Amino acid sequence: EVPPSCSRGCELCSEYNGCLKCLPRLFILLERNDIRQTGVCLASCPVGYFGVRNPDMNKCTKCKIDNCEACFSRNFCTKCKEGLYLHRGRCYSSCPDGFTTPNGTMECTS
Amino acid sequence: APCPTPCRCDGDGGADCSGKGLPAVPAGLSAFTYYLDISMNNITELPASVFRNLPYLEELRLAGNDLAFIHPEALSGLQHLKVLMLQNNQLKTVPSKALKGLHALQSLRLDANHITVVPEDSFEGLLQLRHLWLDDNSLMEVPVAPLSNLPSLQALTLALNRISHIPDSAFANLSSLVVLHLHNNKIKEIGEHCFNGLENLETLDLNYNNLLEFPEAIKALPNLKELGFHSNNIAVIPDGAFSQNPLLRAIHLYDNPLSFVGSTAFRNLSELHSLIVRGASMVLRFPDLNGTENLESLTLTGTKIDTIPASLCEDLKLLRTLDLSYNEIEELPSFQGCTKLEEITLQHNRIKGIQADVFRGLASLRLLDLSRNQIRSIHKDAFMSLTSLTNLDLSSNALLTLPTSGLGGLNQLKLAGNMDMKGSLSAKDLQKLRTLSVPYAYQCCAFGGCDAYLNTNPDQGSKSDGSRKKIMYSPGEEVCEGSVAEDEGERIQLAVHCSPPTGAFKPCEHLLGSWM
Repeated sequence: EVPPSCSRGCELCSEYNGCLKCLPRLFILLERNDIRQTGVCLASCPVGYFGVRNPDMNKCTKCKIDNCEACFSRNFCTKCKEGLYLHRGRCYSSCPDGFTTPNGTMECTS
Repeated sequence: APCPTPCRCDGDGGADCSGKGLPAVPAGLSAFTYYLDISMNNITELPASVFRNLPYLEELRLAGNDLAFIHPEALSGLQHLKVLMLQNNQLKTVPSKALKGLHALQSLRLDANHITVVPEDSFEGLLQLRHLWLDDNSLMEVPVAPLSNLPSLQALTLALNRISHIPDSAFANLSSLVVLHLHNNKIKEIGEHCFNGLENLETLDLNYNNLLEFPEAIKALPNLKELGFHSNNIAVIPDGAFSQNPLLRAIHLYDNPLSFVGSTAFRNLSELHSLIVRGASMVLRFPDLNGTENLESLTLTGTKIDTIPASLCEDLKLLRTLDLSYNEIEELPSFQGCTKLEEITLQHNRIKGIQADVFRGLASLRLLDLSRNQIRSIHKDAFMSLTSLTNLDLSSNALLTLPTSGLGGLNQLKLAGNMDMKGSLSAKDLQKLRTLSVPYAYQCCAFGGCDAYLNTNPDQGSKSDGSRKKIMYSPGEEVCEGSVAEDEGERIQLAVHCSPPTGAFKPCEHLLGSWM
């Protein structure tokens, strides 16, 4: 039985830091409020984060790919920032040689 | 536009009905809804045509419900759907019939369900699918047939399943695949041709499996940039292991019971920046790193290597950190060509002496650890070029003396354990020293040991009650400031943490006068 004070999907929480441990298979996202970090449990990570699943903990991790808005993993982008082209998981100002963008999409294809 | 309670609609086609305890898909949404989030509710099934009034839907989020059944016609009519999130539900099989008409689908999440079966026709017609999550399910094998229908797939995760074997040509038709995650399965053996067809693969993650042998199948991956097989049971990395993967930038191979690494395994990896091989206990010869010229960090520990090739710094000009500790190295070549070296760790080898040219030209070197060797002599010019050196560890050797020229910038020096070194050290050569360990307590006296200093400077540092002033004292280390003017808050001589500390039973003044 999850303590009533914990937020949805949370198994263990504290008043100061929100959720410390999520229910199995949910992702924990650490939100920063000034100097405080607050844990939140999610079924999918917000834009700009990707979910890393491990046997003991699932965590939302920031995409660290240049000019990337949404990503599949640490080194594979699924959506680039405005005006940039997506090619094999990376963002470019123009498509590499031999690749173009069909009918107005922002993804390079051969 | 209509927005049913308890949803929140943004008036631009987006509707958020997540986390409202809904038992079913809410009715009455605008026909122009393109984004619908009904995740984290209590929906247990999707009946036929439940989204028939939402023809423009592009993203549908159903994660975190209790979905156990999706009617074959449940998703019919969603011609524009690009993103479908079904993760964190109770599905036992891939809803293949329901997916059939989704021709525009690009991202499909099925992770964190209980899928044991992937019907052969599961992804038929999904010619635009780029990203597929099947991780954290109960798959016992790679769904080879279903995966052969996905020409546009670029990213696939099958991690956290129960896959124990990868058959040959398992991913043969996935010519667009860039990322493949297979970590946290039970993979014990893989077919020698199991990765055939993946000519565009850049990232392969085999970490946390039960592999007994090196995955030779990677030879079919000419574009591989990142390879992980750490936390497996691999004992041997063969010669030429990565000869067909010239673009490799990162190889994660730690936590394997490595006993042998082929000497040509890491040749010609010009994109590799870091190489860490620990505990390959049967390796006798230093690996041939010819052509791996952009290496910046090399860690090679726990082997039987006794010689470092003289050509090391011709091959590795960009090297910044070198850790060759816990080997059997007896003699050092000159590291002269490695001008960018910042850290050298050679602790626990069999080095007997340091010649004049070993560290010549290493103006960037900050840290040098030569502890736990058998060094008896160091050439007087050995440290001459080391203008950036701040941290030198020569503890537990067989030194008689220490040449100090070039060591003016040191702030940490360790000499403990050189029991034949009985002479005193000259404080004026080591002006910036902060931390010092020496074989004998009296050698601390030259660096402001309380007794010695106060005896030679009686007017300084004593309180009116005559007691001695210790500025900082931590167990086992006594620190005395040479002169304290606390009132004015000014410090003339900075503190030196020197150990072993002098004291009543280890006086600076012995019976017959000062040691100095």
